Amino acid sequence: MSDAIIKVENLSKRFGEHEVLKKIDFEIKKGEVICIIGSSGSGKSTLLRCINHLERPTAGEILFHDVAVKNTGHALSEYRAKVGMVFQSFNLFNNMTVFDNCMSGTRKVLHLEKEECKSRAINHLKQVGMAPYIHAKPAQLSGGQKQRVAIARALCMNPEVLLFDEPTSALDPEMVGEVLNVMKKLAGEGLTMIIVTHEMEFAKNVSTRTIFMDDGYVVEDDAPQNLFTNPKNPRTREFLKRYMEG
Amino acid sequence: MEKLTIILAAATPGADSGSIEWAAFIAQKYANMFLNATWTTLYVAVLGTIFGFVLGFLVGVINTIKTHPEDFILKRIFVKVLRAVVVVYVEVFRDTPMIVQGMVIFFGLRQSGVEIAPAVAGILITVLNTGAYMGETVRAGINSVDRGQEEGALAMGMSHIGAMCSIILPQAFRNVIPEMGNTFVNNLKMTSVLNVIGVSELFLIAKTAGGSYYKYYESYLVIAAIYFVLCFVFNRLFGLLERKLEGKSDYVLATEYLDND
Repeated sequence: MSDAIIKVENLSKRFGEHEVLKKIDFEIKKGEVICIIGSSGSGKSTLLRCINHLERPTAGEILFHDVAVKNTGHALSEYRAKVGMVFQSFNLFNNMTVFDNCMSGTRKVLHLEKEECKSRAINHLKQVGMAPYIHAKPAQLSGGQKQRVAIARALCMNPEVLLFDEPTSALDPEMVGEVLNVMKKLAGEGLTMIIVTHEMEFAKNVSTRTIFMDDGYVVEDDAPQNLFTNPKNPRTREFLKRYMEG
Repeated sequence: MEKLTIILAAATPGADSGSIEWAAFIAQKYANMFLNATWTTLYVAVLGTIFGFVLGFLVGVINTIKTHPEDFILKRIFVKVLRAVVVVYVEVFRDTPMIVQGMVIFFGLRQSGVEIAPAVAGILITVLNTGAYMGETVRAGINSVDRGQEEGALAMGMSHIGAMCSIILPQAFRNVIPEMGNTFVNNLKMTSVLNVIGVSELFLIAKTAGGSYYKYYESYLVIAAIYFVLCFVFNRLFGLLERKLEGKSDYVLATEYLDND
């Protein structure tokens, strides 16, 4: 038994001839906040999507508490219910209000009592500052508001790990802060998270570990204070240099 | 007394009477038959369309089920067979005229010893026809829903079917409402071909009524007016429904949670 919640072993993913992920190995323990950085096309998002099987790995395993995650059926549903996901494009359900969005998982997947679903929804919406908007439809909200609701919706499931796929990349600059603040708060509360991001300051200050990916490989996996101030790999150095200048 | 003779004269047109008078006369004389026929036309079209939509949604959903090599083998075989059945069904009904389908189904059933009332056969044919066309419409409606909607549902642990029922289909449904309106109004008119299997809808009654006076033009003029009114009214109703489903453009702020940070 290891104390890792999720363990990625020897993971590869190809789309046709194109190999996007090449033998990835890493694990995440309870309470860790891992930021994955790297240039576009380096495989960060694909890795995250493989972790909850939105993309099927070509080879390798995802282990959840040391048990390999099955690709299909009830076992996959159960796993996904414990591993939340927040998307770049929010993916709030357009046919439901904010309130119903937050109760959709607890009602339809966890089958909890209605009162419990309601109180969880209100609690987590308060946590992200969106409780006054329970009656609004997603189309009536700004990007930052949508993303905060999406985070609340994921929290309602009480996930063991929450995955963030570039949560601020689709936002106007003035809305990035409100979403990052919510995520910072969650990190402070001890939530285990894997965050794919282009926000270097955030990665540096909030993550407990930072992973740099390039061309489908995990190039460097270290504490942020090491990775950002003293990167070992020349590719990491080059990437960070470009980023800090840009 | 003089007034009454004028009305009676209008009610029994002579040799020199115009078409309008004849049409009015036929409409009056066969008012009951026309009313019953309107009712038949309506319920064949309504029932045929409603069940046709259900069938169409089923076809549309089956067309979007994906299987994976990791799935249980029986499930994969079952889905394959189901999809094959659907493909054949949709092709056959889209590639033959409804009037021919009517004949083949009605007389085919009779020959194999199944006695079926013409109206029931009419509904069945309308259902099968509508289902084949709606299947394609529903598939397009489902595909027009952003892929992220399903991913959001899957990522929280919903099954494909669960995501379909509570997230994709409600949105697809709104997308296809204009087409559903079209299909229903089209079905109202297409029931006229069911006269060939003896469904006593408007066309058959017009043929009968016109035949007794050799006034076919006038008789069909009457049902043309009836079809027009029916379709006009339903077109407007569907327009209204569409606007209703667009929903409110504003929302109420839940002020009780305003300063609860």
